[in-house]
Amino acid sequence: MVSTNTDKPLLAHLLRRAGFGATFQELDRYSQLGYEAAVDELLHPERQPAIEEDVLERYFIDWKESRNIEGALTESVYRMNAYAGGRPLQEKIALFWHGVFATGLAKVLHEKTMLNQIDLFREHGLGNFRDFLLHLAKDPAMIFWLDNNFNHKDAPNENWGRELLELFSLGVGMDGEENYTENDVKNAARAFTGWTIDDDNVASIPFGKTPWLFRYLPEDHDDGEKTFMGHTGNFNGEDIIDIIVKQPATARFISRHLYNFFVADDVQVPAWQHTPPGDPEAIKVLEEEYFRSNYNIRSMLRVLFNSDTFKSDQARFAKVKSPAEVVVGTLHLLGDFKFPKRGIFEVALGCRYMGQDLLNPPSVEGWHTGEEWIDSGSLVERVNFVADRVSDIAQPGVRAMVDTLLDRTVELDPVSVINGCLELLGHVRLHEKNKEHLAGEIRSMLDQRSGLVAGSTEERLSAENTVLHTMKMIGSSREYQFA
Amino acid sequence: MSTQGLYKYHDVIGLLSPAGPGFSGPMAVATGPDGMLYVANRANPNQPDGVRITRCTKDGDFLDQFGVWGEGPGEFIWVTDFAFSPQGEVYVADEHSHLISVFDRERNFSRRFGEQGSGPAELDRPSGLEFGPNGNLYVVDTLNHRVQVLTPEGEYISQWGSLGVGEGQFSMPWGIAIDAAGDVYITDWRNDRVQKSDADGKFLMSFGSSGDGEGQFNRPNGIAVDLDGDIYVCDWMNDRVQVFDQAGSYKDVLVGHSGMSKWGRTFLNANPEIERKLELASQNIELKQRFYRPVSVHVDEDGKVYVADCYRHRVQIYQKL
Repeated sequence: MVSTNTDKPLLAHLLRRAGFGATFQELDRYSQLGYEAAVDELLHPERQPAIEEDVLERYFIDWKESRNIEGALTESVYRMNAYAGGRPLQEKIALFWHGVFATGLAKVLHEKTMLNQIDLFREHGLGNFRDFLLHLAKDPAMIFWLDNNFNHKDAPNENWGRELLELFSLGVGMDGEENYTENDVKNAARAFTGWTIDDDNVASIPFGKTPWLFRYLPEDHDDGEKTFMGHTGNFNGEDIIDIIVKQPATARFISRHLYNFFVADDVQVPAWQHTPPGDPEAIKVLEEEYFRSNYNIRSMLRVLFNSDTFKSDQARFAKVKSPAEVVVGTLHLLGDFKFPKRGIFEVALGCRYMGQDLLNPPSVEGWHTGEEWIDSGSLVERVNFVADRVSDIAQPGVRAMVDTLLDRTVELDPVSVINGCLELLGHVRLHEKNKEHLAGEIRSMLDQRSGLVAGSTEERLSAENTVLHTMKMIGSSREYQFA
Repeated sequence: MSTQGLYKYHDVIGLLSPAGPGFSGPMAVATGPDGMLYVANRANPNQPDGVRITRCTKDGDFLDQFGVWGEGPGEFIWVTDFAFSPQGEVYVADEHSHLISVFDRERNFSRRFGEQGSGPAELDRPSGLEFGPNGNLYVVDTLNHRVQVLTPEGEYISQWGSLGVGEGQFSMPWGIAIDAAGDVYITDWRNDRVQKSDADGKFLMSFGSSGDGEGQFNRPNGIAVDLDGDIYVCDWMNDRVQVFDQAGSYKDVLVGHSGMSKWGRTFLNANPEIERKLELASQNIELKQRFYRPVSVHVDEDGKVYVADCYRHRVQIYQKL
């Protein structure tokens, strides 16, 4: 029996943003905890059990090696789905940083090294931003992606130094002002000379790939004096990061990213220099928490999730789901792939077909979000992906939803079927107009068949089909594409 | 040399390759009735062309291969292990289709049996296979947490085991070895131990516990017993092979000392630029020599120990001294 706890729609909203949505059973559990405790639990994924890595590796024997993009994509989506119940924010924050620190296999061409970067996001993505940036600067995938292995004492390469400032911390500018100069870029690049990787792009044969490793070469480091953002010294990369994290622009940049990802769709990043935040008060609160907490992302998210802005009715269903949210959210709802089996790759491809090629973002700028996720082709993919699956009674999660709804129903009527399905699918909302249209369709169905639930086997099957059809229609709706 | 000096590194056979000379995710290794080395390749889910059983000499000369990816007769998806019957047929376990396929001495497909389930002669992700001196086929029935004894035609004879931690119980068992006396050794994978029973499943002893110390395991899988009665266990997630005496007492450990294989040398001679890159990768040399998920171990009559080094796509060979 589904409880009618009034907090559940809010908790469902929280889980859609901090995770990939929640099953009705999970919402029951979270409602027992209460909202703030649920937020706390989400913010500490490390307190929840890990998935059974040994069993995964037992059946996916290339799990650790991931020597092709198919294997890496499989690993990535399987892991997101496996953790969607227990540690959803761990996966969501990794997805968030994957979009910000966008690194791609199109260039890196080393799947395990890419997956190690995603692991870095999982492990440090909720922690101290200064430490996180330092790990990122030593991440072999990032070093290769932005050519820092070609950044030498006598021949600096500015790619990493530039993107560190432009796309990973300060942003080009804010409030109409530039945040840094070309000299800052040049000196940041000089400070990171000698930060390289052990073996660039070693071929996969004779005995398979080994993960790339960070290496610091002091003899290739420019130890000369540098001036960076008004500070002068014989800076190394760590000093540059220390200066960066203290800048108000960094607080603004990270706050806008968090707001855009977790609260409401904002304009795309290149427009931030000249376009103020849509909700300046909310951003200001996050900026203050950034400094108050000594750059702690977890603290910023705690403030964000507990804010009235986040909990407001206005924030709900205000974001277009990303393809990963559509795919993983649906898999999670279905309870599918909870034990290793073949087929996850074909499902994972759904993300690519909907416009989000995981592990291979379109550029260092990452994916454009919001309405830019949607075009006529991707919309069809989305609708088909969801509709086909949420009406598949063979899926354990669908079976549980149908049985739960029918077990509390004596005789079906259009309104109770629709409301029950909306609730079980995660307190989804339908516009009244669409609800009325769907109710009319269900009424027509019920006119031609029995609405009794506890009757004969045929009547029960008929009732199940009515519920499944309703879920399919909800999964096909425009509203279902919003988180 | 091995840690205790009882084994000396001898050679390596291997090269990452989806066909011909080379392996792709080797899962099982054994000497065939023809004296040649057979290696089952799991490949990966997205490289079906790499799935096959390779036959080569023990000096690393490629002979041929048989079996392909698929669900039809003579095909398999997730190969886990194989065993030779007293008549020289090859029995291959596929834990995706829950089938055991049989190939004749000439490696032509003969027949197959098995279906998913938990009843007699039904299987749920079969893994280790071995024939006993009595000519019966012993199948590790992983997700049913039991060992089944079948006739060579796949008819049910007996079984033992259930999910648990007690004597004679298992948690996702994987590997199997049978000694000259017909006693059966099972790697009790998720219980991190080895259990020994007689041919009828009567519990005799167990050894091992969870950990990475001497005599401890982190998900043991492949297992073998040599002519002296020494027991070899692939300590999978500890990336080593441990050796025990007949009583289950720790004797030695192999960690991998791979050099360059004959096939690898041929490849590098033709691709010198790759060899130069390999030489640059100085930090990784240690990693490149060591086992990475050893999954199957086999000891031949000459005391040579063959270890399927799964993620390194090779078989490392040690000589017992």
